[in-house]
Amino acid sequence: MTTVALLRAHRRQPLLQALVLSRRSVVALLRQPTVWIPSMFFPLFFTALNSAAFQRATNLPGFPPFDSFLDFLVPATILQGVIFGAISAGTEMATDIENGFFDRLISSPVSRISILVGRLAGAAALGGAQAVLFVLILLPFGASIGGGAVTVAVLVATAMLLGVGIGGFGVALALRTGSAEAVQGSFPLLFVTLFLSSAFFPRGLMTGWYQTVAGVNPVSWMIEAQRRLLLEGFAATDAAVAVAVAAGIGVVSVGASLLALRRRLAEAPA
Amino acid sequence: MTAPIEAEGLVRRFGDLVAVDGVDLEVQPAEVFGFLGPNGAGKSTTVRMLTTLLKPTAGRARVAGFDVVREAGRVRRAIGVALQDAAIDPLMTGTELLRLQAVLHGIPRRHADRRGAELLERVGLTAAADRRVGTYSGGMRRRLDLALSLVHEPEVLFLDEPTTGLDPMSRVALWEEVRALNQERGTTVLLTTQYLEEADQLAGRIAIIDYGRIVRQGEPRALKSEVGAPTLLLAVDEAHHAAAVAALAGFGEERPAGPGEVAIGLEGGAARVPDAVRALDAAGISVNHMELNQPSLDDVFAEATGRRLEGAEEPAGGGGTPAATGG
Amino acid sequence: MTAARTAFDHGVAGRPLAVAAALAWRNLVGIRRVPATFVPAVVMPVFFLIAFSGQYRGIVEIPGFATDNVLSWYTPMAVLMGASFAGVGTAFSVARDLETGFFDRLLLSPAARGAIMCGSLLAGAARGLITFALVTAVGLAGGAAVPGGVPGLVSLLIAALGVATVAGLWALGLVYRIKSQSAGPVVQVGIFVGLFLTTAQAPLEVITGWLHPVARLNPVSQILELARQGFLEGVAWSSTWPGLAAIGGLAAVMLVFAVRGMRTLTP
Repeated sequence: MTTVALLRAHRRQPLLQALVLSRRSVVALLRQPTVWIPSMFFPLFFTALNSAAFQRATNLPGFPPFDSFLDFLVPATILQGVIFGAISAGTEMATDIENGFFDRLISSPVSRISILVGRLAGAAALGGAQAVLFVLILLPFGASIGGGAVTVAVLVATAMLLGVGIGGFGVALALRTGSAEAVQGSFPLLFVTLFLSSAFFPRGLMTGWYQTVAGVNPVSWMIEAQRRLLLEGFAATDAAVAVAVAAGIGVVSVGASLLALRRRLAEAPA
Repeated sequence: MTAPIEAEGLVRRFGDLVAVDGVDLEVQPAEVFGFLGPNGAGKSTTVRMLTTLLKPTAGRARVAGFDVVREAGRVRRAIGVALQDAAIDPLMTGTELLRLQAVLHGIPRRHADRRGAELLERVGLTAAADRRVGTYSGGMRRRLDLALSLVHEPEVLFLDEPTTGLDPMSRVALWEEVRALNQERGTTVLLTTQYLEEADQLAGRIAIIDYGRIVRQGEPRALKSEVGAPTLLLAVDEAHHAAAVAALAGFGEERPAGPGEVAIGLEGGAARVPDAVRALDAAGISVNHMELNQPSLDDVFAEATGRRLEGAEEPAGGGGTPAATGG
Repeated sequence: MTAARTAFDHGVAGRPLAVAAALAWRNLVGIRRVPATFVPAVVMPVFFLIAFSGQYRGIVEIPGFATDNVLSWYTPMAVLMGASFAGVGTAFSVARDLETGFFDRLLLSPAARGAIMCGSLLAGAARGLITFALVTAVGLAGGAAVPGGVPGLVSLLIAALGVATVAGLWALGLVYRIKSQSAGPVVQVGIFVGLFLTTAQAPLEVITGWLHPVARLNPVSQILELARQGFLEGVAWSSTWPGLAAIGGLAAVMLVFAVRGMRTLTP
């Protein structure tokens, strides 16, 4: 059954429609290895590289008491992967708009909001799956997860919320511009935000304006909280900070994408 | 003197697909030779082999007396080529492209600039010479492409669908240019086309190619007279179609025709039209339209392949739905 | 038709040097008319320089680093990265030409195939020169020190031109075979792996684990040392010749790869 046929079958059931659409978005992604392979390869490549190049940095005064640089990099690896992967929710949405599938959806009796929910649920599922996958890949290379399953649960929850946050950002951009190229072009912006945080090195060892910027970047707060969880085991405040930052990003970008959806639909009768 | 273009049993396969299936050609000096066939018949593939861009799977070909595989370099010096869709760098100006082309052919700068100006004048692009090609119309691009292919005064000129996608006026202008070139300088021209009129207007001899094979070859006039009787074409209501065919059965052979049409090769020509009308009248058939057509190249094509060339293109888009239906 | 022979002496193919220069010029004209195509080759290395030297400021405090100036450490690497993008960018212009059919025009001409390839490499080197100037300027403005002085900058320039050529040949080899811009990801992965599995991030004596033997054997580490020597201390022959040899060896291997690729294009 095609997506549109399924959606017709589920009319008046927005939740099921969202489920159908999120399943479609995940399947579409898995069918495009050129999208998801880089989202796994580049984070793993740089983590492998830096954990060997900078292992001795763990002895520097001011470095958090990690034994291995790999452990230190676990949250950053996941974050990178989620950024790489979740933006595809936006490019997919833009492609739908470009090739007319979006118009077919809104001309079918599907609930408007489920179009959005479907995309974002897909991005969340992908983010969570990536977190689990990265942990499973890094474990045999000697990564140790302090706090065990509870820490992993926090990492997964944060990754899912971030999936929504980054995905929502991409979707908002897609709805505004209708161009996959524009969404793709926003990628460096995300990368700059990531690098202007303490994701890959401790803030205490930075200097000058860079340290200042990293200090006010919420991404630093989130990642530092995750690292404390890895180091010291579960603590409610750290878990709360990590989840709260991700959720905050999510709320802002979902808001933006709702506005963008309303704008795009303003042309069509409700 | 050897023929400027000779091919013997030329074959090109792409995997399982046989694009060109044993083409024999002999083009005479100073001749305009037309290569006529529908899309995908193997015209461009043949041209790509003759112009050293593609290696033949089997067979031999010589252009300007040189083997296209073993003496590719010599062939390239002797030929000028304007390929389909005139791929021209949109960021460069006409003058710059002509200069680049001259460098590629080792023409000294002082000759190159004069020659470039002459050619631009000739194809009517002097005013646009220093504009970027991106701003040119389709017709201007084709004319510039023609000028580029002439920079080194080639002995043999290949034009691959030179007027596809052009409006009728630009098409006629290009035809005149090709004709003048051939007459003034005796340049041998091989042109491929899917337009009957183009082949009829320009070519001294034509070859009709279909599914990679040459099915007819010769002078257009001779080919047309071989088809024989003129075609009587009727438009009738769908309900009368079978009856009309039956009523005209004694007048000649039925020929391929469009929907709602009946075509008969009318033996005896125009003199038998009154008889045919009477036969239709006697059968009680009302005719919406009737014409008597002398054989055209399309009839030659139809007779050779059982299909019509003109109007045979599939409707654009195919009426399909967008690809992304997902799950 | 001998009658068609003319004063233009058309039996001659273009002189290789003139052909290469004309094609390189065309590529550079393209940059000037649509500068956006060149932006990544400049912006990416500058971003890399700022991001890495800001993020990893602390690494120069690890015992074993020959400098305590993080910009001195990362500027040469950023220049080489930019140079590799410059070489790759030119190969992508070739991919576009193959897609549009413009490349057929070149192949149809009697110009030597080698001259056509040299045109691309020349353009890559010229782009590399621009990147070198801009990225070095940013590094120096940010406070990178060059104890090796002018010879130090010259060895960085030589390394940059070498990397532009090697990366260009690698990308051309793939583009000639794949014949479209979809060669992009494979090209990029090769460049990233080649450039980073070296002493890019830390000196050999600081590197641990699996990366140590890899970086030691990767010839690009030698090119990096050639590039970096003037920013760490003075220029010495012992840090120069291995880099030159590495450029020569890699260029020879990639040349074979590219030439074989080009042979797949025409009979």
